[in-house]
Amino acid sequence: MTLALIPLLPLLGALIPSLFRSRNLNALSAGAIAGISMLLLLLQAPAVFNGEMPLASWSWIPAIGLNFAFRVSGFGFMFAFLILGIGLLIVLYARFYISADDPMGRFYSYLLLFMGSMLGIVLSENIMLLMMFWELTSISSFLLIGFWSYRTDAREGARQALVITGGGGLAMIAGFLLLGHIVGSFELTTILAAKEIIHAHHLYPITLILILLGAFTKSAQFPFQFWLPHAMAAPTPVSAYLHSATMVKAGVFLLALLFPVLSGSSLWFYIVTPVGLITFMFAAYMAMFKDDLKGLLAYSTVSHLGLITLLLGLGSPLAAFTAVFHILNHATFKAGLFMLAGIIDHETGTRDMKRLSGLWKYMPITGTLTMIGSASMAGVPLFNGFLSKEMFLAETLEPNLFGAFSWIVPLGATLAAIFAVAYSIRMVHDVFFKEPFTNLPKKPHEPPHGMRLPAEILMTLCVLVGLFPMTLAAPMVNMAAGSILGAATPDYHIAIWHGLNMALAMSVIALAGGAVFYLQRLRLFDSHRWCMRYCDGKATFEALIRGLVQGGRTLTGLMENGSLQRYIALLVGAVFVLGASPFFGSSVPFIGPLAMSSVDPVTLIMGLVLIVCTVATVVNHRNRILSIIMLGSVGLIVSLSFIRFSAPDLALTQISVEVVTIILLMMALHLLPRTTPVESSSVRRGRDIGLSVLAGGGAAALMLAVLSRPYDTIAGYFLENSKPGGGGTNVVNVILVDFRGFDTLGEITVLVIAGLVIYAMLHNFELTAPGIDALGRPWVQDRFPMILAQITRPLMPLALLFAAYIFLRGHNEPGGGFIAGLIVASVLILQYISSGIVWTRPRLTVDNHIIMAWGLVIAVLTGVGSWVIGYPFLTTSFTYLTWPLVGKFEVASAIAFDLGVFLAVVGSVMLILVKLGSMNSKDAEIVSASVQKAKEKKEGAH
Amino acid sequence: MIVVEILVSFFLIIGAFFALAGSIGLFRLQDFFTRLHGPTKATTLGVGSMAIASAIYFSFLKEGLSLHEVLITLFLFITAPVSAHFLAKAARHQRLHEDKDHPET
Repeated sequence: MTLALIPLLPLLGALIPSLFRSRNLNALSAGAIAGISMLLLLLQAPAVFNGEMPLASWSWIPAIGLNFAFRVSGFGFMFAFLILGIGLLIVLYARFYISADDPMGRFYSYLLLFMGSMLGIVLSENIMLLMMFWELTSISSFLLIGFWSYRTDAREGARQALVITGGGGLAMIAGFLLLGHIVGSFELTTILAAKEIIHAHHLYPITLILILLGAFTKSAQFPFQFWLPHAMAAPTPVSAYLHSATMVKAGVFLLALLFPVLSGSSLWFYIVTPVGLITFMFAAYMAMFKDDLKGLLAYSTVSHLGLITLLLGLGSPLAAFTAVFHILNHATFKAGLFMLAGIIDHETGTRDMKRLSGLWKYMPITGTLTMIGSASMAGVPLFNGFLSKEMFLAETLEPNLFGAFSWIVPLGATLAAIFAVAYSIRMVHDVFFKEPFTNLPKKPHEPPHGMRLPAEILMTLCVLVGLFPMTLAAPMVNMAAGSILGAATPDYHIAIWHGLNMALAMSVIALAGGAVFYLQRLRLFDSHRWCMRYCDGKATFEALIRGLVQGGRTLTGLMENGSLQRYIALLVGAVFVLGASPFFGSSVPFIGPLAMSSVDPVTLIMGLVLIVCTVATVVNHRNRILSIIMLGSVGLIVSLSFIRFSAPDLALTQISVEVVTIILLMMALHLLPRTTPVESSSVRRGRDIGLSVLAGGGAAALMLAVLSRPYDTIAGYFLENSKPGGGGTNVVNVILVDFRGFDTLGEITVLVIAGLVIYAMLHNFELTAPGIDALGRPWVQDRFPMILAQITRPLMPLALLFAAYIFLRGHNEPGGGFIAGLIVASVLILQYISSGIVWTRPRLTVDNHIIMAWGLVIAVLTGVGSWVIGYPFLTTSFTYLTWPLVGKFEVASAIAFDLGVFLAVVGSVMLILVKLGSMNSKDAEIVSASVQKAKEKKEGAH
Repeated sequence: MIVVEILVSFFLIIGAFFALAGSIGLFRLQDFFTRLHGPTKATTLGVGSMAIASAIYFSFLKEGLSLHEVLITLFLFITAPVSAHFLAKAARHQRLHEDKDHPET
């Protein structure tokens, strides 16, 4: 359990920092949560360092192979350690960085959410679970990048990051599903053991490409690199976190994780190596020309990610080992450098290197730290970056699949290393030296110590690891690489001095070349500006998105032009085509073998009346009142036919729905003219008649085809299990509240939402009913006739009693919460109609939306209640009680669920009808004014 | 038992007669207000008699005392006059009684 808590704690505790007002408490609570997670992780350390892999697994949705399973592999441990360690430093740093104007609690909430999702990725055992966390990082990084949501660049950057990484995520889901399909399991342990099966499978190439797409987009590899620099609109702590240890490393994490099974083919090499090499060079080149400190670091990050990808692409065990080591080193110096860039920005008011200069006099400590970081980034000896870069350069010299062109790799690597040295020098020299600054927004000074402390810790680590690699870094790297490579782990001795060899020569060339490059930078800037006019990733992206939106609009305009007739015609036409298509070209006889049953006169007459009423509705549709009456008759005959075929529940429901619908229609149509002119052209009417005849005839034919065949329905199962399984003899009701309870829950949720939406739509909607009827006569003055009002009032308790009766018998005989709800709603509406809102509203003290909400709450709680007693969600349990006088009777938890249904129905129906009926009425204004007054009086009394 | 059956038949026939009479009246009578008599007879006397027949039948020949029908009758007797009253009220408002030229409206 403690294992699963490592990622879950930050996720579940994400809201906690938002609960406090004090900024210190915000940071403290976030730090505490991350700290506990860290402790839990360290508890796993002894086992992991022993070479074990702790596993914790719970079955979640076994039907799709999704398990709630976590593991701590050596590599996962290293990553989790980085995420939490740097995360803790970021928490401290952000406390000083985020200004008092920004909502700090929210920032920490997003940060924890992100931290938890990242931990989930690196600790998941099930790749479907991993995918969920993967998507969560896309969403939470969107929130983090767009934290300053009032800024256009932040919003654009966040959207771009989401689109690119989210799109890659989609490809990856497909890749994972294929991988699971090939292996037959989504468990990593099984997958990692199935290298031969995967490589031999014919779906291997497409699987590989899809997964690589996901990893490359996340890790900002060429050609998806452009989102990362634009994500720099985020607050600096976010950049420091996302772009050093976490978000973008998720891509290379995944590459390394699946390295044992996916690598080793030529396809892997030919995709991953060039992408890594191009990214490495291109981004290093771009970084040189960025004036923005964070922009420089962003491209440098992309470049280093390219380096790691390149290493993984080379495919040798030592290359993978080096990749792991470089992940660790890069996270350390890059997080620190981002923090330092943030400090410079914070204390001077700008991060533009054209304006910054000569800060050494004012910020010597920050300057020293920046120098350490830059030296590490450039690969200067005695710093940690040097070690892994040296190993990398040595690795590029190995012969590879490019054959005669193998020299491309070391050449490209050296070039990129030259650029890296140049931009590192620029970062230090431009900012801290050169001539004294002239126009800075603020007078620079050293930051508060708490803000500098995280960077100090990280830079100290850079130096110490650089000096004593075997003591400090080797155990962790060996363990992490060991968990990826298994028996193939190279026994490598990390050392500063490997003797005079080719790699050292390349390092020296890089250092010297970088220095020369930096000195010649002005000339380079000119050529770069010319080049950049033609290739800007962001402009291409924006143009692409604009095109997509335009295309979407055109398509929507074609389909959805505001004509309801067209929507329905398209819909019905599509249904007809889809329904009819299987019958064309099929040799199976249309009508099945069952003989027709004889026609009895009652059914025949009912059918004929139904047809007459339907046709009459259509013919009279321009006279609205008449067509409503016809429609009502249709509904009543349908409910009679339900009775004819022994479905009393349906008949009861149909009748009550009919009543409510007619009232609704009357109210709505009251606001419209009573007759409508002929608007459609004759062609269109012809089309509509044709379509409806086709669709209606098609439905009838389909019925004929189905009913004339012997078939076995699931009805038998329900009939058999209704009493023993659900404890009720009314099968319809047991299906609603038990067998298909989850569906019902969904349905009442939809009902409630629909009620709210209609309410919101009608609110402040100006539409006044005409004051006269079609013949110019005014409405009658006596709006609430005495006889009606006096009769409906005593009717109310009777109807409520009837509803209670219908509700209580529902589980065993026709009835139930839905019907009872409709009966109550109609009798309450009757009061409104007969006595008016002024009389009725003050007497119904509970608000309809509250009734509705309680209905939903009760229904959900009933479902949750089953969990408490150890059953799946919404399982009905029932028992028999014996009371004196009443006798033995059954109590089922389903009745509580049914109560929820009942309340939701009453609330939403009332909400809609009362709102519709009181639209723009003067009475409603009087009522709301008096309610307001009563409220004020009450408050005054307190 | 035969007495019960005779009773049931009697009420059924009475009910059917009034339903038929009401329907014919609705169809045949001259103007709106006289026509209004038809359906009210059908709902009160017609359906009422049938409800009594049903109550007798189920009480004596089936599972035991059946009082649903009393409720049905009660609801009918409460609601039928109200709807008739409404129809008449609407007709008066629309001045149908003054419109001698078009009695069919």
